[in-house]
Amino acid sequence: MSSALWVAVLASALGTLLMRLLPLVWMQRRLERQANGDSLEAMPQWLSLLGPLMIAAVFGVSLMPVAPGALSWLATLIGVLATLAVWWHKRTLGWPVAAGVTAYGVVVMLAGLAS
Amino acid sequence: MSLQASSSPSRAWLTGMREAIPLLGGYVPVAISFGLIATQAGFSAWEAVLISTLIYAGASQFLFVGMVAAGAPLWLVVAMTLLINVRHVVYAPNLAPWLTSSRWWPWLMHGLTDQVFAVAHARLPQLPASQRLGWFTGAALLAWLSWIGGTALGAVAGGELVARWALMGEILPFALPALFLVLIAPRFTSRRWSLALAITIGIALLLTMSGLTNVAIPLAAVCGALCFYSVKFITTGKGERNE
Repeated sequence: MSSALWVAVLASALGTLLMRLLPLVWMQRRLERQANGDSLEAMPQWLSLLGPLMIAAVFGVSLMPVAPGALSWLATLIGVLATLAVWWHKRTLGWPVAAGVTAYGVVVMLAGLAS
Repeated sequence: MSLQASSSPSRAWLTGMREAIPLLGGYVPVAISFGLIATQAGFSAWEAVLISTLIYAGASQFLFVGMVAAGAPLWLVVAMTLLINVRHVVYAPNLAPWLTSSRWWPWLMHGLTDQVFAVAHARLPQLPASQRLGWFTGAALLAWLSWIGGTALGAVAGGELVARWALMGEILPFALPALFLVLIAPRFTSRRWSLALAITIGIALLLTMSGLTNVAIPLAAVCGALCFYSVKFITTGKGERNE
């Protein structure tokens, strides 16, 4: 890799780190300036709203199957339903994910055997 | 992996690692693909690993090696790499109310990806303050190391792995949507929130299906926020707010 390319890698790395780091410093200073000490109240409303919505957006993006097709969409639907069903009963992180991946995998493998 | 707070403060980092395990299902196959593509684009295995170690941002890394391989000007490569990651600016401020006074936090933000943010946003408020630094360190470290390890694996033996474990590469990534679903399910607390979340999910999915993956997250979140503020003014027949 040429030295110019190394500079590009380092600039991208530094820029990415600063985009993650500087907003934190800004918010921490803003929170420190608040006299009442309630950090949640000190957050702008739009910001506290964007947090959960960004997670929802990441979920929407991740729903796209690796190999899109009718069967993978069906597997996605069944995987989502299995995840929700186990979450409803257990209210934990691990078991619903395991159930969802298992259900998704079973549908994909059965479809592979049938074809 | 209970959603309740852990009871052993000294093992918080271990709890963080355990709760980040579902991320590996999404990280490792994508990291293997990156390692493979980077070597195919002319980078050595060490260079691919260093890019994953230093930049550590999935989509922008693919764009970086792709643009370099295509001979794009390096200033444009850097600009596009950073532009794709602009959404990251809202992640850390959202976690700030739950972060302690440790000086390590700013440096730990290197590990604040989409996925780590999603897990941390749900878990940090549930943990005692004494456990948060350890928990985040464990979760972020596992995710980062799995990304680096997956890249190395892809760079060295990616072609063979993809050929032999194609089905696993198709199944394991479902761990990510399953995890995110569990994280946002408790947020469906009112009609107003449910509508905003559903619209966000739908728009993000549609944009991704249209090939606009890189703008899908910020654009869908903004649409969801607009929806949230709009339905505030809708009232029911009895004059009650539709919350």
